[in-house]
Amino acid sequence: MNQPRRRRHVGRWLLAACIVIACVAFAIMWRPAIAPLAAIPTFDQTRIERGANLARLGMCASCHTPDLAKPFAGGKPMETPFGIVHSTNITPDNDTGIGRWSQEAFTRSMRKGVSRDGHLLYPAFPYNHYTRMTQADIDDLYAYFMTRPALHAPARDNQMTFPFGLRPLVAFWNVLYLDDAPWQTDPKQSAEWNRGAYLADAVAHCAACHTPRTMLGGPDLSRPLDGGEADDWYAPALNARSPSPLPWTREQLHAYLRSGIAEDHAAAGGPMQDVVTHLAQADERDVAALAAWTHSHLAQAPARTTPAQQSASLPAPKADDPDLQRMQAGYALYANACARCHDAGRSPSSGAALPLQKAVALYDPDPRSLIHIVDDGIAPPDGEPGRWMPGYETILTDEQTGALAAYLRKYGAGQPAWPELNDAVRKARAP
Amino acid sequence: MSAAPPCDEGRRRFLAAGGALTLSFAMPAWSAPGELPKSLDKTPWLDAWIRIEANERITIFTGKVELGQGIKTALLQVAADELRVAPGRLHLVTADTERTPDEGLTAGSNSMKDSGTALRHAAGQVRVRLSELAAARLSIPAANLTLKDGAFIAADGRRVSFGQLVTGQELHVRATPDAPPPAPGPKTAIGKSVPRVDIPPKLTGGRAYIQDLRLPQMVHARVVRPPSQAARLIAVDAAAVLRMPGVLKVVRDGRFLAVIADGEYRAVKAATALARATRWDVAAPLPTYPDIATLVRAQPAQPYPILERGVPGAQGQTLRATYTRPFQLHGSIGPSCAVAQLVDGRYTVWTHSQGVFPLRGALAELLGVKDDTIRCIHLEGAGCYGHNGADDVAADAALLARALPGRPVRVQWMREEEHAWEPLGAAMVVDVAATLDGNGRIADWQYAVLTPSHNQRPGKAGNLLAATHLAKPFAPPVPKPSPQPEGSGDRNAIPYYAIPNARVTHHFQPRMFLRTSALRGLGAYCNVFAIESFMDELARAANADPVAFRLRHLTDPRAIEVVRLAAAKFGWNSYKRPAGTTRRGRGFAFARYKNLLAYCALAVEVEVALETGLVRIVRAEAALDCGEIVNPDGVRNQIEGGIVQSTSWTLLEKVRYDAGQMLTLDWGSYPILRFNQVPNSVGVHLIDRPGQPFLGTGEAAQGPAAAAIANAVFDACGLRMRELPLDRQRMRRA
Amino acid sequence: MTTYRLQVNGKQHAVDLDPDTPLLYVLRNELELNGAKFGCGLGQCGSCTVLVDGKSVMSCLVPVSAVGGRAVRTVEGLGSVDKPGVLQQAFIDEQAAQCGYCIAGMIMQATALLEKTPAPTDAQIRTHMSPNLCRCGTHMRILRAVRRAADVLAKQAAGAKG
Repeated sequence: MNQPRRRRHVGRWLLAACIVIACVAFAIMWRPAIAPLAAIPTFDQTRIERGANLARLGMCASCHTPDLAKPFAGGKPMETPFGIVHSTNITPDNDTGIGRWSQEAFTRSMRKGVSRDGHLLYPAFPYNHYTRMTQADIDDLYAYFMTRPALHAPARDNQMTFPFGLRPLVAFWNVLYLDDAPWQTDPKQSAEWNRGAYLADAVAHCAACHTPRTMLGGPDLSRPLDGGEADDWYAPALNARSPSPLPWTREQLHAYLRSGIAEDHAAAGGPMQDVVTHLAQADERDVAALAAWTHSHLAQAPARTTPAQQSASLPAPKADDPDLQRMQAGYALYANACARCHDAGRSPSSGAALPLQKAVALYDPDPRSLIHIVDDGIAPPDGEPGRWMPGYETILTDEQTGALAAYLRKYGAGQPAWPELNDAVRKARAP
Repeated sequence: MSAAPPCDEGRRRFLAAGGALTLSFAMPAWSAPGELPKSLDKTPWLDAWIRIEANERITIFTGKVELGQGIKTALLQVAADELRVAPGRLHLVTADTERTPDEGLTAGSNSMKDSGTALRHAAGQVRVRLSELAAARLSIPAANLTLKDGAFIAADGRRVSFGQLVTGQELHVRATPDAPPPAPGPKTAIGKSVPRVDIPPKLTGGRAYIQDLRLPQMVHARVVRPPSQAARLIAVDAAAVLRMPGVLKVVRDGRFLAVIADGEYRAVKAATALARATRWDVAAPLPTYPDIATLVRAQPAQPYPILERGVPGAQGQTLRATYTRPFQLHGSIGPSCAVAQLVDGRYTVWTHSQGVFPLRGALAELLGVKDDTIRCIHLEGAGCYGHNGADDVAADAALLARALPGRPVRVQWMREEEHAWEPLGAAMVVDVAATLDGNGRIADWQYAVLTPSHNQRPGKAGNLLAATHLAKPFAPPVPKPSPQPEGSGDRNAIPYYAIPNARVTHHFQPRMFLRTSALRGLGAYCNVFAIESFMDELARAANADPVAFRLRHLTDPRAIEVVRLAAAKFGWNSYKRPAGTTRRGRGFAFARYKNLLAYCALAVEVEVALETGLVRIVRAEAALDCGEIVNPDGVRNQIEGGIVQSTSWTLLEKVRYDAGQMLTLDWGSYPILRFNQVPNSVGVHLIDRPGQPFLGTGEAAQGPAAAAIANAVFDACGLRMRELPLDRQRMRRA
Repeated sequence: MTTYRLQVNGKQHAVDLDPDTPLLYVLRNELELNGAKFGCGLGQCGSCTVLVDGKSVMSCLVPVSAVGGRAVRTVEGLGSVDKPGVLQQAFIDEQAAQCGYCIAGMIMQATALLEKTPAPTDAQIRTHMSPNLCRCGTHMRILRAVRRAADVLAKQAAGAKG
């Protein structure tokens, strides 16, 4: 009958559809190269200084300066669920850096995640946040980066898990997650709050760590600021779900963001340490604005009663504790290793250590931050003064760390046990 | 050309004569003719320095002490060389008030100059005396005897050994001023890099430090210190502490508060509990200032002109600058420790003090006893770099030994205690102005250094910390400046350059609200930093190469030689900044320590990252002339160490405090150099001067390193840093 | 006070102590071992570094009650004045000490590195040694000594293979 003809029709439609899909896909994935710059222009000193401030607020050095002696030369390996990505050289070196990038190329990389020569950048580079920066701010950053010393540092090879290494596929990620609508202020809020909101979203990209991610590694916008992760640390929720056992005041937040310490309240550990190191060098008014914005979200957390309101020493386990042996082991470790700084008998060096019933890590839904603090301690940046907590990774066995964490969770924070705690310890310590 | 007389009295007279100070010190010996060298003049008996026993054991006695500078080995080499024996044959006894000569302090880079010279002189005269005895014994003229391995040998094979010759008081003779003739035959020790005798036990767990001393019945004590020097003790409730396990006694005398326990960690815990059970009232807050220059300028000062040459007011281009140095710490890696015991009215104190004899005097005054009832024995501590807590902890131990007679009491300072209470390296401000003439030469030089005391060593009981806390406290004596050329805060304040018109004034501050005392180099660190930084600024104003500019102003050939050598080894004239790397620059500096001792020139390349504030020496090349070299590797070790330590001071270190207390209490709050910031390479090139006096090396490199770094930073990025330290925060904000 | 059984340098010891006594004090006072030193008691300087189960630890931070049966090694276990171990000999050859107070800790820290990474780069040596402080400025010699020991061990391994 007419079936062969229908099959030919269907075949042609399918072919046409494939061609259309291929064209669309190509249109999504392909970007043209932008012509290389002939010579780097000169810039106004005020632009450069504003750019320096923005670079601090944008945390650029966190990824692009693994070697303090070579600012922005890149080369830092970053573990992602998709493989290991290395940061690139963003000094104005002609051969290995961005020396040939025009303002247009720089802007495109910040807004679209596209390199000068058209290849797509992995979203480990948070362009999905930077895209909402104002053009003036991007121009200031350009002025700053193009006036840094040019360092010769070729890009390192990445180790991506197939097929995530295929850069054109990033285009599809961008379709889902790159929202390049420009920044909008909220007229109901103060100028300072708006400044804070802009900096938090477009520049400091707080949500990159503090908002959970989807399976594809994009921000889960249905749960903004619900808590996320960075470098295998749990980054707490900054909203009504904040695990903090005591409410934060604005002054505490400001002090914390500037110095990493809110006295008798919190100490920044892990990746947050690098954040506060950057903010300490940024304009104080911008940090105040960030504090104002963050506080407006944290203040939504309902008041609760926790052991943090008391200042007594952490107690011994109850005699009828169903896990008594383990709790006693944890308590002994606390009393013999931690209490001499963290309890009432703490010595005055390095400033007083936080009484642990106030430590937010004990109240996190996830024990990773606690395990990392115990293992790594907290040390100031190289050559700079600061508070010091030693690391216990080689001192405590996995079992001891698990017992200590279990004890602190129950008798320090009064929270339900973390499930799979021993597994979590093992995973946290795996190289 | 005139030689400066050796003693301070003579120098003061010389300076007061008002003549131009000529800077030529090319003298073959440290003593004037007819005088015994220093240290021997106080202890002239030969057998006070060298003893020989029938079993051939040779013991050398010195009033100096091992601080980690290798002096034990170097002194053994000197004595061994004069006696023509292998250094391993000798035993050395270091400062002990009951056994050794009194040589005052081991400080000022004077150990080789004083003890080395004395030992060389004494050992030489012992050798001569022994050869005379051997000649008599063997009936052969001394000149016909061969000296080998501690024995004199006749041509016919008959021999007599040192031990056979000394059966009684043969060496109990006074040294005579004439220098002994040089020893015959090849050198056995001097000029050789003899491995240090003290290193192997330190690496293998041997007993080496005061901290390793364990005595029967020994107990452990810790002191509870006030929050600040002005604090008053209101109340102590020791009842709970006395019930703690192992606690033997709580001792209180005024504000001096301590606990003694039978176990060390028990003492630590008891002290923490005692501190919590004590209430203090901070009577007077410490004064705070926005910066060091304001702080120093605010303190009353007495002017001491130390150089007045020519006539001021030369015409030309005048430059001015101010340089500053903050308070800095000795920061001994091992906090200070002492053990003391009182038995039958006699005290024995084991201490790492740099001066056991002066300490004994201070302790005697503190305890109200006679000097000879106290014996102070030196045992090594960690590197002290000057007047740290060693004397204070000895006083703590002595007071507690008195409170618990019979038992040896060991006091170990905690880290926070050492950081908070050690006498500090003094803050300094330098104001300098100079005028260049039309030929690019310095025509006029005006230099003023403002600083408190750099020497509050015991001495007196009032220099001991605990003594100032007793119910009947001892007041610290009002310090006085030490005269040039030793100087204190004004050490090396007189430039070594030929400048026709120059005025240098030391504005001495007798009172400072923080205790300051000797830190390695004393004023030389900051004065050389200032002078050598300013020389660079002048060189640039004169459009001259920094090395050429210095050479233009040096007349001492030995100085010229070290400058040329350091520049050559660095490749100064062919230096090219590498492309595609960090900001790089080169810097140069030269100084002669105290204008009297070792000559040190240093060229460095640094890298500067202004965005992170990081500064690092990439490579350093030093040239050193320290007279006759006893142990070349030992000298290199000291200079390398001095450069690296000074790098730490210069790039990182400043003490911080607030109205209530010191804030720099540990390594977190007072960071020092770690491995990731040390240079890639440090080269030390030595110029040996056999026959010339020993010049000492321990403090020669600190000042030049600071200036070379600052000069290189300027070359790298155009920033002239005049305030120490060049820390990351300051570099980022520059 | 409780009795704790410790294995130190291959020997068994029984000590009666308060459970929170740091291992450093046990080594120095009860066992009279001089190597590990008190530098800060805060884990900031490394003078007290020893090995526990092959990993470097700051013994001033380890309560004796937490050691258990794990093998403790100190510098005394590496060799003696008469028979120094490879690292100890390398430090002697380089004269890598001034006051020497930090050196036992340096040697133990280096031991942990060389046992895990027999052929470290210079950068790895620097980073690994960073927790240990030296105040005298002996760093250059310490790095050379570790490098020298690594080379000696590499030659020994090659000799053993060949």
